[in-house]
Amino acid sequence: MKILIIEDEIEIATSIKNYLSSNDFVCELASTLKLAIEKIDLYSYDCILLDLMLTDGDGFKILEILKSQNKTDGVIIISAKDTLETKIEGLTLGADDYLTKPFHLSELLVRIQALVRRKQFNGNNVITFNEIEIDTISKSVKIKGNKIEFTKKEMDLLLFLIGNKNKVLSKSAIAEHLSGDMADMLDNHDFVYAHIKNMKKKLKEMGAADYLKSVYGTGYKWEDE
Amino acid sequence: MNKKLLQKTLRYYIIFSLVVMLLGVPLFFFINQWLYLHEADEALQVKKEEFVKFFVPQIKENEIAIFNKLNSDLHIEKNNEGIVKDTIFERNFYNHMDKENEPFRILRSPVTINNKSYIFSVRANLVDDYELALITLAVFTVIILILLIGLFIITRRLSITLWKPFYETLKQIEQFEIDKTSNPKLIANDIEEFNRLNNTINNLIQKNSSIYQSQKEFIENAAHELQTPIAIFKGKLENILQRKDLNSEQFKLIDDLNNTTTRLVKLNKNLLVLSKIDSNSYYEIEKINLHEIINNQLTFFSEQSLSKKISITTEIEENVVVSSNHFLAEMLISNLFLNTINHNVLDGQITIKLTNDKLLFSNTGSLLPLQTEKMFERFSKSNPSSQGNGLGLSIIKKIVDTNHWTINYNFTNRMHTFEIVF
Repeated sequence: MKILIIEDEIEIATSIKNYLSSNDFVCELASTLKLAIEKIDLYSYDCILLDLMLTDGDGFKILEILKSQNKTDGVIIISAKDTLETKIEGLTLGADDYLTKPFHLSELLVRIQALVRRKQFNGNNVITFNEIEIDTISKSVKIKGNKIEFTKKEMDLLLFLIGNKNKVLSKSAIAEHLSGDMADMLDNHDFVYAHIKNMKKKLKEMGAADYLKSVYGTGYKWEDE
Repeated sequence: MNKKLLQKTLRYYIIFSLVVMLLGVPLFFFINQWLYLHEADEALQVKKEEFVKFFVPQIKENEIAIFNKLNSDLHIEKNNEGIVKDTIFERNFYNHMDKENEPFRILRSPVTINNKSYIFSVRANLVDDYELALITLAVFTVIILILLIGLFIITRRLSITLWKPFYETLKQIEQFEIDKTSNPKLIANDIEEFNRLNNTINNLIQKNSSIYQSQKEFIENAAHELQTPIAIFKGKLENILQRKDLNSEQFKLIDDLNNTTTRLVKLNKNLLVLSKIDSNSYYEIEKINLHEIINNQLTFFSEQSLSKKISITTEIEENVVVSSNHFLAEMLISNLFLNTINHNVLDGQITIKLTNDKLLFSNTGSLLPLQTEKMFERFSKSNPSSQGNGLGLSIIKKIVDTNHWTINYNFTNRMHTFEIVF
């Protein structure tokens, strides 16, 4: 899958590139509006990560160009601007998602995956991980064909973990995914334990393998055995 | 006690008038009396000289009795006392017409008629001292009263017309708030001093507003600019975390850095929120159903409170509608929740009570009451080692202020309670 990262902050762009590269993504970087316009003219991407404040112009320009060329590339805005007005403007101009900086790369990854799923399969899709099947539309999880009762949070957590398979996730990254903006306001992220414990227990009861490994006590990793 | 400008001016006028009256009345009285006596004496002397010049050469001894009979104020008698010099003195005589004693000025002078020594006395009726003093006092009082009434009217008129620009300016400054965008409009007038005052105030306000503005912008920009380096930092940390060669110790270090970054993000977000409230970014007011917001957040925070085994009891009236910006209302409730959870103890309690006119968040926590005087100031922390950044209560206070509500804190039965009155 091809991703275009339009970001003038080269350090952020390379971090994203590094993180995504190991997950079957091919990332290209464009640090200016001019370069970005050239690239979207020539190629099409599965997903474009768009920073709004570029040195040579406003990132919204990209959305207008995509619209005028009838391109259907998915766009996720990554911006430090977090006003409701900017978000609404971005989304009405055709962006698919909006992520406020600073964000967790793991969060960005699952957002990209969700976007790509919506675009490619018209939203009708089932994620399969060995014996686990997740239907993102009907919001149901099946293990070896048997339906399992998952809460919305547990389902969210499972999708997040599988989406970031083979990556080490910090508790704060998981907490942020589960509680959104509120996570970094919390003094402690112990609630993550509870959800993980419950989810693991349910998966184990249904006979799924134990893919979720604890990393040095504070991190987690969903490993493909 | 503070007095109005007019009252103060009038008070000085009255004091001054009284002093003038107290000193003026006796002074006037004595000068008047002295002048009057002087004149009376002179008149008596003239009469005597007239008598000596015209009557003495003609008068005969047998005519003296008739003379005395015909002249009530002139009198000739034998000089039995043997006076040689003129004497002037005062004496009261009974007036049969007025039926009262009246003061007279009397001149007694030795004269020689036909080589015989006689005393010629001439008298003049004096105005009563007492009456004179009374009349003087009365005249003075009337004059001073007229003066005072005049001054009062003039001062009033002056204070209304002359001081009008001053009172206008005063009103404008009273309404001025530095965190509001509108500056007072001080009207120019034709009085130099007031124009100077207005110009000085204008300069002061402009200077302060621009300092305030730039400080506000600085905080907002600083918080905003920090987001990018934090994003870079966060991204790098997440990438390092993926390295296969990390040992437990290194992993722990990175995780600590991760948590610190989270604190940094939180601090930054809170600063942004505060400066945005300051710059009036959340100006859209709507009717908010508070119990909905509380219930929406209750699920999330109940989950958060599980790790401390905190029990939450609620007593929430439905359909409590307040006017607020929606984001601010959510921010207020979530900060109150965070506050009650973050400062709580293991197996603690939280009580939330919502009635039509107030909202109460109570929690167990430290066994001592919080110090109230600095509690709402930015970066003031009750417990320096806590993970909090001391901005939570500032945000709560700011939102409460923005909505023109009030917030009170009290500590009873080991419960810290924040009460917000709408």
